[in-house]
Amino acid sequence: MKRRSSNRKNNIYLPIKGRIESIVPLTEDVNFYRIRSEKPLSYGVGQFFMVSVWGYGEVPISVCSLPEKPEILELSIRKVGFVTNAIHRLKEGDELWFRGPYGRAFPMELSINRDVILIAGGIGLAPLRAAIHWLIKHRKKVRHISLLYGAKTPSQLLYREEFTQWEKEGIKVVLTVDSPEDGWTANIGVVTTLWHHIDVDFKRAVAYICGPPVMINASMLDLYRFGMPLSNIITTLEAHMKCGVGKCGHCYASEKYICTDGPVFSYEEIKRYRLL
Amino acid sequence: MSSEWILDKNHLSYWLRQLRKEADLIGPLRKPGGDIVFESIERIHEIFLDLPALIPGPKEFLFPQYEKLFNKRDSKVEELSIKRKRVVFGVRSCDVSAVRLLDRFFLDRFEDPFYSNRRANTLLISIVCNNPEPTCFCAGIGTGPYLREDYDIQLTDLGERYLVQAASKQGIRAIKAYSFIFSKPTRTDYDDQFEVQLSAMARFQKRISLERVRSMIITGKVRDTFWEKVATRCFECGGCVYECPLCTCFTVIDRVFGDEIERARIWDACLFKGFTRLAGGVLPNERMVMRTKRWYYHKLVHYPEVIGSFGCVGCGRCTIVCPAKIDMATVAIKIKALADNEEKIIEQKE
Ligand SMILES: Cc1cc2nc3c(=O)[nH]c(=O)nc-3n(C[C@H](O)[C@H](O)[C@H](O)COP(=O)(O)OP(=O)(O)OC[C@H]3O[C@@H](n4cnc5c(N)ncnc54)[C@H](O)[C@@H]3O)c2cc1C
Ligand code: SF4
Ligand code: SF4
Ligand code: FES
Repeated sequence: MKRRSSNRKNNIYLPIKGRIESIVPLTEDVNFYRIRSEKPLSYGVGQFFMVSVWGYGEVPISVCSLPEKPEILELSIRKVGFVTNAIHRLKEGDELWFRGPYGRAFPMELSINRDVILIAGGIGLAPLRAAIHWLIKHRKKVRHISLLYGAKTPSQLLYREEFTQWEKEGIKVVLTVDSPEDGWTANIGVVTTLWHHIDVDFKRAVAYICGPPVMINASMLDLYRFGMPLSNIITTLEAHMKCGVGKCGHCYASEKYICTDGPVFSYEEIKRYRLL
Repeated sequence: MSSEWILDKNHLSYWLRQLRKEADLIGPLRKPGGDIVFESIERIHEIFLDLPALIPGPKEFLFPQYEKLFNKRDSKVEELSIKRKRVVFGVRSCDVSAVRLLDRFFLDRFEDPFYSNRRANTLLISIVCNNPEPTCFCAGIGTGPYLREDYDIQLTDLGERYLVQAASKQGIRAIKAYSFIFSKPTRTDYDDQFEVQLSAMARFQKRISLERVRSMIITGKVRDTFWEKVATRCFECGGCVYECPLCTCFTVIDRVFGDEIERARIWDACLFKGFTRLAGGVLPNERMVMRTKRWYYHKLVHYPEVIGSFGCVGCGRCTIVCPAKIDMATVAIKIKALADNEEKIIEQKE
């Protein structure tokens, strides 16, 4: 019986300490956190961290920034339950621990010399914000960029202050809501009613999608019908996660651990492994 | 690398006493109520080798039911990893096979440091099952009743002596240090070993080919109505999962004790409804049948694809604990009956 000699440098479950540098409320229940890490970080678009509040637990949260400054991490967190409520009770200057990054990143290089469609629902814009920052950084190498973004109400749209900046960079931002509020002039309905707003060559474009499962399914199916290759339709899936490293079993679905094999998958893989 | 010796049974307690000087010796003990537990051995003569069918597996020593991971006080986090040396005596062959698979699961890709530390410091001494239980079906999977390779130390009971085989550095060291009590096996010893192995193989009451079951499943011959029938019987007690030497799902909890916070992991079960619950209460595997299928598919279909072996070593524990009689062996036999029936139907058609 062979014993494997340990090749680990550190404990995969041990979080590192970060400090909350600033908190910006984005909506009624979503806060934006800028965190300063004790150690330099490197991460890709679409990867996530296990964020922990000692005494409460850990939750998976996607990064919504690019690793431009190696000690800075930006997260947008919606208050929905036990741990996320504990995070929302923290103040600027408090500790927030985290470990990662985990999971596969978005294949951003697919967007080079292509039209790009970003499709987001609700908090799903968080990981795509990092993708948008990447596309802006590589703007010259990418063709048309469109963002189709939907939320329940106008006040639940994230990053509203950044939209003008994104539009300045040549990103077509198309918004929609389920229920309008006073002064809302844009669309009403689900994101899949917005296709006619964008002018793209679907057969050669690439799409990055994040949102609730119904939205992901409907968007992927439409894009497929429009002739987009299955391997160019990219999404990221949500699952209950307790470890992030393929051990706890919670995220396991059809042979795949969403945490390590995903959370980013192409439509081709989703169909092959029946993940949705 | 396998080396073989003969150990007179009169010398067993001397050997174990020596091993105990360097490590915590763990073995089966019979408690006053009759329960068998694996515990630290104080008095060697109390080791109880006439084991019943249901014994606790070594999973507990490598991946305990409740395992402290970290302790946090103020801003300092302490890692609570166990590095104590241990010898676990009296393990069954199927359980050693299970540990072999646990190694791959816990040490590949991301190395689990808690498992890794325990594992590196644990020596397993297994005993060949000369008399398999009615619930055992390791023979058909190749995970018992004796092992050909990849064990630490394996003993075969030959009456008044043991044939001792060592197949790891640690195992060989644990013998060579006391070589004066071990002798070279003779032709008769090997003949006896062969006889014991043959008779053990002949005693199996269950002959199950998981390969057959797997091929039935992947060719779509097992319908959802079959799984529905299995699932409706399940009490969701989790007994099968907790007993299975290969089930490893866990959850992580934080507990606050004054100004100290403990982070621990505890066994969890994919058969429980809330196991995959998402924020907001969304349940991806809400219906029991999805969870039942998940358990069986993981062990019979995905394990072979990913690891190259079944996620079942045929220990029969789930057969003993399942109050609903929907354990691995029973389900496998039912699926095989479906296959046999189908063959009959095809024959009739021809
Ligand atoms: C890859 C990935 C990326 C994600 N990215 C983001 C993101 O960028 N932003 C975002 O907002 N969300 C994101 N999410 C979703 C986020 O992880 C969940 O919203 C979060 O896990 C919810 O945790 P919660 O404890 O607040 O919720 P809950 O639903 O309350 O509980 C979740 C867990 O906490 C445990 N728990 C609940 N109550 C208790 C209690 N009383 N005692 C002990 N344990 C309890 C539950 O058992 C459960 O394990 C992402 C998810 C994934 C998988
Ligand atoms: S599935 Fe049942 S028989 Fe197979 S290893 Fe697990 S407990 Fe033992
Ligand atoms: S032991 Fe039987 S009844 Fe209990 S959870 Fe397992 S399959 Fe269901
Ligand atoms: S989160 Fe634990 S296995 Fe994926």
